[in-house]
Amino acid sequence: MIKFLTPKLLIFKIIFCLALLTAVMTLCTFFGTQEISLTKAILGWGDQPGQNIDYDILVRVRLPRVILAALVGAALAASGVVLQAILRNPLAEPYILGISSGAGLGMLTAVLCGASWTLWAGSPIAGMAFLFALGTVCLVWFAGNMAGGARITSLLLAGVVVNAFFSAVIMLLTSLVDNQQLRSVIFWLMGNITEKDFSTLRLSAIFIVAGILGLFTLCHKLNVLTFGQQEAQSLGVNPRTVILLSFVLASFITAVAVSLSGLVGFVGLIIPHSVRLVFGPDHRQLLPASAFIGAAFVVACDTIARTIIAPAQLPVGVITAIVGGPVFLLLLARYSRKVGYQR
Amino acid sequence: MIEVQNLNFAYKSQGEILKNISFRLEQGAFLSIAGPNGAGKTTLLNLLAGLLEPAAGSITIDAAALQSYSIRRLAKKIAFVRQEFVPVFEFTAAQVVSMARTPYQGAFAFESDIDKHAIDDALEMTDTARFAGRTLNRLSAGERQRVFIARALAQQTPILLLDEPTNFLDMKHQVGIYDLLKKMQLEKQKTIIVVTHDINLAAQYSDTIMLLAAGGDYQFGPTKEVLSAQRIENVFGVKILSAQIGQNSFFFPIGEKGGHSTF
Repeated sequence: MIKFLTPKLLIFKIIFCLALLTAVMTLCTFFGTQEISLTKAILGWGDQPGQNIDYDILVRVRLPRVILAALVGAALAASGVVLQAILRNPLAEPYILGISSGAGLGMLTAVLCGASWTLWAGSPIAGMAFLFALGTVCLVWFAGNMAGGARITSLLLAGVVVNAFFSAVIMLLTSLVDNQQLRSVIFWLMGNITEKDFSTLRLSAIFIVAGILGLFTLCHKLNVLTFGQQEAQSLGVNPRTVILLSFVLASFITAVAVSLSGLVGFVGLIIPHSVRLVFGPDHRQLLPASAFIGAAFVVACDTIARTIIAPAQLPVGVITAIVGGPVFLLLLARYSRKVGYQR
Repeated sequence: MIEVQNLNFAYKSQGEILKNISFRLEQGAFLSIAGPNGAGKTTLLNLLAGLLEPAAGSITIDAAALQSYSIRRLAKKIAFVRQEFVPVFEFTAAQVVSMARTPYQGAFAFESDIDKHAIDDALEMTDTARFAGRTLNRLSAGERQRVFIARALAQQTPILLLDEPTNFLDMKHQVGIYDLLKKMQLEKQKTIIVVTHDINLAAQYSDTIMLLAAGGDYQFGPTKEVLSAQRIENVFGVKILSAQIGQNSFFFPIGEKGGHSTF
């Protein structure tokens, strides 16, 4: 008897992952270096800033940071799932097409220019990172198309080359930054989650959730696309449209995430792999599950980052890499063995 | 019915590969396309599947130009089984076969009762139901190929294109796949078009054959009329020994044309 994915089963799995995320977010909101009274915090609901310190720490400091971490994790994991599918490469991740280096270049440009304007309540660093990330993705898309028509390999190669070139420019610009700014630049490049106000969070949440929902509608077509563009077309899927839409939406949510947190690594690589091991490769469940688990992973990593060497804090990218690195190597070994088995 | 008229195709790097190909195929025909490497057999199949655009000429399916079909509508007319390959991600055989229903489904592709019935039928007909829950990388090449044929069956199209479906398979599996294709032709009235290197399997199973030579020349017609030792020698550039066993003709290469013979 073949088990097909039914709407009920999919909703059940989504609710399970959502419950897991909610539990992790709740625990991490209550967890911190400063002890707080939960009763006092709840009783202080609606108090003005400064009136109730427990409420301020819980709701005005920790909660926005936890929400931010969740948004970043969800965006990066969902984007990783989609890029692995359209590039047909299990080692692809959200930064593979130049988003990271583009965003880094934008951030450094803002720092070196001493920009002070704001974009949608975001800092110039966030705004420039966002714009440069999207600009780089467009550059990679057009360079890839010029080099090889619709061939996905050309896109991948264009991304790798642009990434390498911009990384060199980033190193050059980093050497020009003065010592006072250097620490924040390095923290940003390593991925750093800090407190953001609720208006920034609201706007970012709308962008990221809408992007993930858009990608969710493409999930079955992504399943078919993993067999190749011609296979997809033979099965009634327009590969060019699906690739373009997936590419635009995945790049957009990644750019939003990067502008919020800098370059948090490994999430987009290891979360899709880990979730695939549990739920299988069907993107209809892989994408939403990865988004929720990715969100929970970054929330947990950020909690470690803000508490482990308190009162100092680590960039969250360091924790995701320390946890993600060994996991990735294990997956790589597993993948290599599988390829060997197939031959 | 498939009608091809004055079809031309050229790759930028290779120049013209197909020249003025014309033929007509009724519903329920079994056509084999044979020829040396690089003659354009797979290119012709890709053109018939609408995956490439001809430089000149036309292809009509059931009296409508191929270009007039949307991708989705064409997927309800033509199923395509490509050369054997292993997918990147670990989908099970059942999941792969269920993808055949994509042109009939909505965005989230939850299987209806009709879809489930088509999938079950295809798995049963190809004898793949017993390993439907296994991932493709855990199947042999022959089993994988049967899964892809099952997918083509579940697509429920009147036309089935297959590109070298018996590559890398042992004799038993080769015959098994051709028996299955013949069964689909006879029982389901499907039009089967197979690209093959095996002249003897083509001679036994197909009613119509196209011998496609490098350079664009071709012979098209009933298999028994077209296949002769002389024609095969001309197309493949090898000496051929032919034998008649019962109703069937068999052809064996015995050395390069103009070179040393093994007999």
